[in-house]
Amino acid sequence: MSKVVVIDGNEAAAWGAALSRPDMVAVYPITPQSSLVEYLAKFIADGRMDADLMDVEGEHSVLSVLHGACLAGARTYSATSAQGLAYMFEPYFRTPGLRLPMVVSLVNRDSVSPTCVWGGQQDAMTVKEVGWIHMFCENQQEICDTIPIAYKVAEHPEVMLPVNVNHDGNYLSYGVAKVELPDQAVVDSFLGEKNVNWHACLDPERPMAVDPLTGGATGAGPATFVRYRKGLCSGMRAALDVIVEAHADWGRRTGRHWSPLIEKYRMEDAEVALVTIGSMSGAAKDAVDEARLDGRRLGLVKIKTFRPFPVVQVAQALSKVRAIGVVDRAVNFGWNCGPVFQEVLAALYHLPLRVPAMSFIGGLAGADITVEHFSQAIDRTLRLAAGELAVEPVWLNEND
Amino acid sequence: MMETKYLIIGSSHAALEALRAIRQADRDGSMTMLTRDGHMPYSPTILPYVVSGRSAPDRAILRDETFFAANGCAFVGNATAVGLDAKGKTVALADGRSWRYDKLLIATGAAPAIPPVPGLDGSVPFHVLRSLDDAMSLRNAMGAARRAVVLGGGLVGLHAAENLAEAGLAVSVVEMRPHVLPGYFDAKASGRIEAAFTEHGVKLFLGRTVVAVDAPDGRSCTVRLDDGGAIEADLLLVATGVKPVADWLSGSGVAVDRGVLVDDTMRTNLPDVWAAGDVAQAKDFHSGTQALIGIIPTAVEQGRLAGMDMAGDSYLKPYAGGVPINTYRFFGRVALSIGQAAADGCGEVAEQEGGGYRRVVLADGRLVGYASVDEPFDVGIMGELIRRRVDLSGCKEDFLSRPLETGRRLMSEGWR
Amino acid sequence: MGTAFDTIAFKASACDGCGKCMTACAEAKQGASRISIVSGAGEGRFELSLCRQCGDPKCAMVCPAGALAKDEASGVIRWDANQCVDCLLCTAGCSFGGISVDSHTARVAKCDQCDGDPACVKACPTGALEWVTAGSVFKKYGDREDMFVPGLSGCQGCNSELIMRHAMRKIGRNAVLATPPGCIPGMGSVGYNGKTGTKVPVFHPLLTNTASMLAGIRRYYDRIGRKDIVVMALAGDGGTSDCGFHAVSGAAERGEKVLYVCVDNEGYMNTGMQRSSTTPFGSWTSTTPVGEHMRGKTQDAKNLPLIMVAHKCAYVATASTGYMEDLYAKLDKAVEASFRGFSYLHIYSPCPTGWRIPSSKVIEACRMSVDSNFVTLWEYTREGGLRFTRSPDRPIPIRDYVKLLGKYRHLDEAQLDHIQARVDEQVALLRMMAAEPVAAE
Ligand SMILES: Cc1cc2nc3c(=O)[nH]c(=O)nc-3n(C[C@H](O)[C@H](O)[C@H](O)COP(=O)(O)OP(=O)(O)OC[C@H]3O[C@@H](n4cnc5c(N)ncnc54)[C@H](O)[C@@H]3O)c2cc1C
Repeated sequence: MSKVVVIDGNEAAAWGAALSRPDMVAVYPITPQSSLVEYLAKFIADGRMDADLMDVEGEHSVLSVLHGACLAGARTYSATSAQGLAYMFEPYFRTPGLRLPMVVSLVNRDSVSPTCVWGGQQDAMTVKEVGWIHMFCENQQEICDTIPIAYKVAEHPEVMLPVNVNHDGNYLSYGVAKVELPDQAVVDSFLGEKNVNWHACLDPERPMAVDPLTGGATGAGPATFVRYRKGLCSGMRAALDVIVEAHADWGRRTGRHWSPLIEKYRMEDAEVALVTIGSMSGAAKDAVDEARLDGRRLGLVKIKTFRPFPVVQVAQALSKVRAIGVVDRAVNFGWNCGPVFQEVLAALYHLPLRVPAMSFIGGLAGADITVEHFSQAIDRTLRLAAGELAVEPVWLNEND
Repeated sequence: MMETKYLIIGSSHAALEALRAIRQADRDGSMTMLTRDGHMPYSPTILPYVVSGRSAPDRAILRDETFFAANGCAFVGNATAVGLDAKGKTVALADGRSWRYDKLLIATGAAPAIPPVPGLDGSVPFHVLRSLDDAMSLRNAMGAARRAVVLGGGLVGLHAAENLAEAGLAVSVVEMRPHVLPGYFDAKASGRIEAAFTEHGVKLFLGRTVVAVDAPDGRSCTVRLDDGGAIEADLLLVATGVKPVADWLSGSGVAVDRGVLVDDTMRTNLPDVWAAGDVAQAKDFHSGTQALIGIIPTAVEQGRLAGMDMAGDSYLKPYAGGVPINTYRFFGRVALSIGQAAADGCGEVAEQEGGGYRRVVLADGRLVGYASVDEPFDVGIMGELIRRRVDLSGCKEDFLSRPLETGRRLMSEGWR
Repeated sequence: MGTAFDTIAFKASACDGCGKCMTACAEAKQGASRISIVSGAGEGRFELSLCRQCGDPKCAMVCPAGALAKDEASGVIRWDANQCVDCLLCTAGCSFGGISVDSHTARVAKCDQCDGDPACVKACPTGALEWVTAGSVFKKYGDREDMFVPGLSGCQGCNSELIMRHAMRKIGRNAVLATPPGCIPGMGSVGYNGKTGTKVPVFHPLLTNTASMLAGIRRYYDRIGRKDIVVMALAGDGGTSDCGFHAVSGAAERGEKVLYVCVDNEGYMNTGMQRSSTTPFGSWTSTTPVGEHMRGKTQDAKNLPLIMVAHKCAYVATASTGYMEDLYAKLDKAVEASFRGFSYLHIYSPCPTGWRIPSSKVIEACRMSVDSNFVTLWEYTREGGLRFTRSPDRPIPIRDYVKLLGKYRHLDEAQLDHIQARVDEQVALLRMMAAEPVAAE
């Protein structure tokens, strides 16, 4: 029987993880993730969760012990943030190459420096090319539901890739909301048998070399290397369909139908669209509603799955609008705009005509993006639709 | 015609050592050992002990059938080689069989050399001591005899003389040279040995030559000496030295001087033919020329080198040359000699006489010979010092005053 | 596989000529001593004369009576008193005075190793005589399955390859093996391009996370009840003491049940011989070169095994391929301990290429490193504390060891003094930890 509770996002993640029955959980505390691992430790201590808890000496080892466990056959879970992710980067980089179907929550936080412990998506955006699947949650319920879905996707034989389930630090991690906890039996039957190391394992009963040296200037090396790399790309490609299927399956079993790749909000006749990601989307939708009341034909596209990037879905959703405003919680240095904005631009290239788009950056370092901010963004995007070009991104909290 | 890769003629020390060396480098090559003897391999050196009864004939055997089976070598007894066709690569046997080989080792050793003395042409019965059969027949004859004459005061002669004396016979030894065991010991050392024989009732006729032997009644005989003297005997043993068994090679093209001439890897002048042991005339360590040194250590060493070379063993190092060695027991006492121990005028000689007698010969600060009576020493260590030409100038005092300790020290230091 | 036998070893530097061995032998054999200690070249130096139980015994070859033969089981050259005719030819065969006349019996006498329990060794108070059982180890394990491909591409004379092969031969197939980046996988143990180099499951961890990955593997196998798998690393010193240290320390602190073998070749040899924190003072490496302004490494090596002791591991030990029987005994204990907690074995491993020593001298370097106390052999357990497994008494001077190694060729007197002083300090500290009284010199 499902149960309704009022919990914060970190506890929602802990529940999502616990219900997915990982064999091993490795943790190292970091703000704003710390309470998440405390919940897990408590669950295990109370016997509500049957997993090995490894509280190791740093995030580098967090992921490393999970690598070992996964290669031995364990389902694994962890969570981290910003600096933790940075410290984890070496094994993190390796995870998709080994095709290890792990799930790690990223409690998004802005990255040092300037020293900062508050929300922002700079951490996730910095590792977007590594080969992990990234899904972003909008609310506590979605966090709880997305973690089992993430396992289902990760362990799909055609995917076999690690998944980061992102939820925003502060706003979601500490924010409390009503959450309906899925029934364990439902999650069990949804997930089925775990499938983690059929392809690569460290087991004396199936001896093999895991990760021999591959490459070199001549011989079988370069071709073998290319085969692995292309394999990873096909895993990513396959994930798009699998993510859709998994969400649909989850919806059938729980009655909660989350948009798997992107969510289109009031886009049917929209002339101007906002693009959002993560928890900001709630306020953004309110701003869209307000604009609609004012008679303006506003719509919104929320990106749930950021990796693999749903190029076709994004391009199609935005093909009919006259202007687009993309709101980011991170910065793409070099392009000096929002990273999601860049991604959207790349997707739009697939359309026959050029849609004007502009970048908004807000919510850095724990700042709120309010309905007010979104209304400003909508105004500016409308002016873009009217022909007022925008070269620089708009920094939403600049004048707060 | 029988065929084999390695054919070894002879079954004594040189032959057995060659077998071992070949098998070390070639596990599978077919191998055959032919010997004219009817027994399994044994050492001629054991024979005095067979004569004395200390060693039973069956216990004198060095290798049995199991050994040959385990080493993949066919052992053929009663097989006397009578001819070699080096072009056809075959060895002919007395019984008409013949063997084809890829590589041949001649290890037919030596046989007693009978001096050209009237009466020793077969008309007078006499004993020799080279084979087990010889030893057993001598042992049999010993029981019935009372007076024995031994021709030759070398190792074989003296061993036998002691056996006969211990068995209660009246024994006379005739030696052409002024002292017994010439070549191994100097006069002082030999003197001690001679005294022992005399004490045990053995009559020594030193510096005497036999001019004739006759046996009118066909049983006992008279040995006539160059000084007109005559010795009566009912047992005669001829031990006047040995000569290599190389007569069967005549006409084969193998170069023979006093023995079969070999180079430093025991090759003869013919391809695929090697020789080792008493039959071979190989390099002498001291002189560098080819000489006969009929002792076990050289037979073993030469057999090893020949075997290695035959099997193409890359660890082969050329022969350094033979060094004479004698370890001699007489009436429970010990006489030892190595190298140029009896020589005079070849270096600096240090003698020491007390309870025992010791003679050390040095040349250029290096040991060249060492002999002792009644004072055992490490023959092998002295042999190494000689062969390695170890410079003793830094420790000469020590060496001369405490040769045993110093020798052991040098070997321990040098070869840990 | 060939054969090897146990043997009585003599360390001349430790012998004080007391002669107790000879007395013990004479008593045990009721005759002349078969072992003889003689004065050496200098004051207070001694040498040994004893049967070496040769592989190709000349004494036996020249024996006409079949009285001498090498025993196939023990390797001892047995003398058969009944067969012997006392001709003494054997004494001409021996180059070391190993068989000689016993004046009590007027017969030859030689060492028979007291059937594996030599009286002389037991009587030796200085450790100059030692009963070395490496031969038994070799015989016991020589025929075991080699767990690596034949053609590993280690440098000629590679000691690490020796360690790998020995260790895995002993541990067998029920193992999971981590070989972090370094010479060990570099020579092909994890294989190339989809092919493996090892018969047990093997992997490249990152240089930095070996102990952590192993911990994860072990925890999972324990969780599912497969508790008999040896989960282990053959790691280099760099990945252990430098950038992988956090993982080692963390796993040790948590008591992860893992066997961690550190093969210490004193630097980053695989990448071209750069310094690591275990590179000793004065050592040439490609990043501590020798020039006008630099004379090799200017810092001392980190003593990693001691640091592991501070972690209170289930087992910590040091070992050297120079002393195989010690190494094997410790491997046994280390494997056993790895089922109870973190088990750390530090094996010192000279690198012929990086240390600039001829490949033929590697084992000699191993032995001299120990004999000079540059390397000390000890083990630690929580119950028993720290204990030397080889006495550090009467070491040879550090200079004798150092001159064997090309990487120290440039050292000046001050540097040599520094090394000697550090070695002495280290031993003094270990002695304190081992609660052993300092031996009177
Ligand atoms: C009584 C006695 C005491 C000795 N004492 C000592 C001693 O104390 N120390 C020492 O070092 N040496 C001693 N020797 C010498 C030593 O025995 C020899 O040097 C040694 O045996 C030489 O070995 P070999 O293999 O060369 O030949 P041999 O031992 O002579 O053996 C020759 C082999 O060839 C075989 N053979 C000969 N002709 C033929 C043929 N035509 N066809 C087939 N086979 C043939 C024989 O049957 C025999 O097997 C002694 C010798 C004797 C006789």
